[in-house]
Amino acid sequence: MAERLADTRNPVEATPTGRKSSKSRAASNRLTPDRPDASERARGLMHGIMVGEIQALEGAGRTAHDFDAGDGTGDTIPFELKLDMARQAWDEARHVEISAKLGDWMGTELGEFQENTVLFEAACSNDPVLRLAGVNRALEGLAIDVFTQMKEFGDLAGDPFLEFCEDWMLADEVTHVKMGSDWLRKVTENDPGRRKKALEFQQVVDKLFSFGGARGDHDESSFILARRFRELAGFTDDEVDTISELDHEALVERQAAIATAQAAAVPAPA
Amino acid sequence: MVGNPDSTARAPFAPWDRRDLPGSFNVAETARRVGNYKWTEMKLFEALGGWIATVPELDIKMRLGAHCYHHAWHADLWHKRLPELREMKPERLTVPANEAMERFIEAMTEPEAAELSIEKLVGVYRVLIPRFIAAYTYHRNNTSEITDAPTIRSINFILQDEFDDWRDGEMMLQSLITRPEHVERAAAHQAKLEAIMVEAGGITGPDSIGGAEPG
Repeated sequence: MAERLADTRNPVEATPTGRKSSKSRAASNRLTPDRPDASERARGLMHGIMVGEIQALEGAGRTAHDFDAGDGTGDTIPFELKLDMARQAWDEARHVEISAKLGDWMGTELGEFQENTVLFEAACSNDPVLRLAGVNRALEGLAIDVFTQMKEFGDLAGDPFLEFCEDWMLADEVTHVKMGSDWLRKVTENDPGRRKKALEFQQVVDKLFSFGGARGDHDESSFILARRFRELAGFTDDEVDTISELDHEALVERQAAIATAQAAAVPAPA
Repeated sequence: MVGNPDSTARAPFAPWDRRDLPGSFNVAETARRVGNYKWTEMKLFEALGGWIATVPELDIKMRLGAHCYHHAWHADLWHKRLPELREMKPERLTVPANEAMERFIEAMTEPEAAELSIEKLVGVYRVLIPRFIAAYTYHRNNTSEITDAPTIRSINFILQDEFDDWRDGEMMLQSLITRPEHVERAAAHQAKLEAIMVEAGGITGPDSIGGAEPG
């Protein structure tokens, strides 16, 4: 472990003025076809997307089921929101299908990469508004960023199949985020406290799924904030700026953690 | 799980599921076509609605009322589909395929007088609706059944209406065309409209059913 942490090839710099690895010198951490690890990373990312889509499918289905139709107060959600969740379940099911075919296309076997179920946990809040904030806005927002990046990757790699699939999934994600944005505003129209709490929860999820600043507007980001598509999905400029700041905070925290670990790993002088 | 002979996991696609990727249309091209569908369906339901009061035959008047709603519903489906195809201002793409298509609608809606029921019905049921059926069928058969499944689902519902309405329209026409001069009127009007439609190339332009270039 100590040896691995002391490895200066770590893609994230310990400090802004620290030594840079050959990988980060090349340009950035962005996933591009010319990276030596491009194939492996793209396959791993696609596998993660598929598992995420399964969880998003389960989450949308649960939200369609868990709350009675009503005026949006208490444990109810508007009937039209239930319908939107059912529609989202269909979309996510198709995304699982697309991801499975893409994984096959890229030479990945299901189960080849280790995954987790954090996304589904964000879809299990007792307050439906928190689900909208955490899943539809934060996680589906992240999907917009990832699909934009993967679409670009397909384009650069000369892979029209990948580009085609990512483009279609991206269109659906914009729809889902817009659903989240619109319903969050509508359901909390007369309840500013509930809205504030939901937006705070969204920020927690946004920061968590920034993966230590892997997503952001800076050079070290593996994938960038897709501002244009986020705007289409109902994010204001201020909201995207806030996410960008959260991403930066996460990156600084990760850099500090790496610096601490590396310092502790350097052998004491004889 | 793969390679484990004891695994009970099932493959993501059943052996009978032959749906595949990719399709012929990307998101932008699909949105363009859907915008053309919406514009044309709107023009059609407006025309049918306007003719209800000018058609003297009661049975036809009632059918036009029902068909008016069918096409309004189709327009609504396409209106709702456009934002899902990243077009947040649906009116931007709610346009005719080209200038000839616009001229076709003008020519189709020209008959106003009460004695022109044959001309009204010929334009809709012998020229425009067959073109809708062709364009929708082409789209359904060439887009991806996975990525563009929502469009296919709408097309399937819409095609059911189009076939039913075409049948109604054709039977109404057959009941109206009872003398040689009626046959001439119907044929002449159809030829006039068909010529403009050929110029337009179809509901979505020259590529409405694929391949063909404007002549």
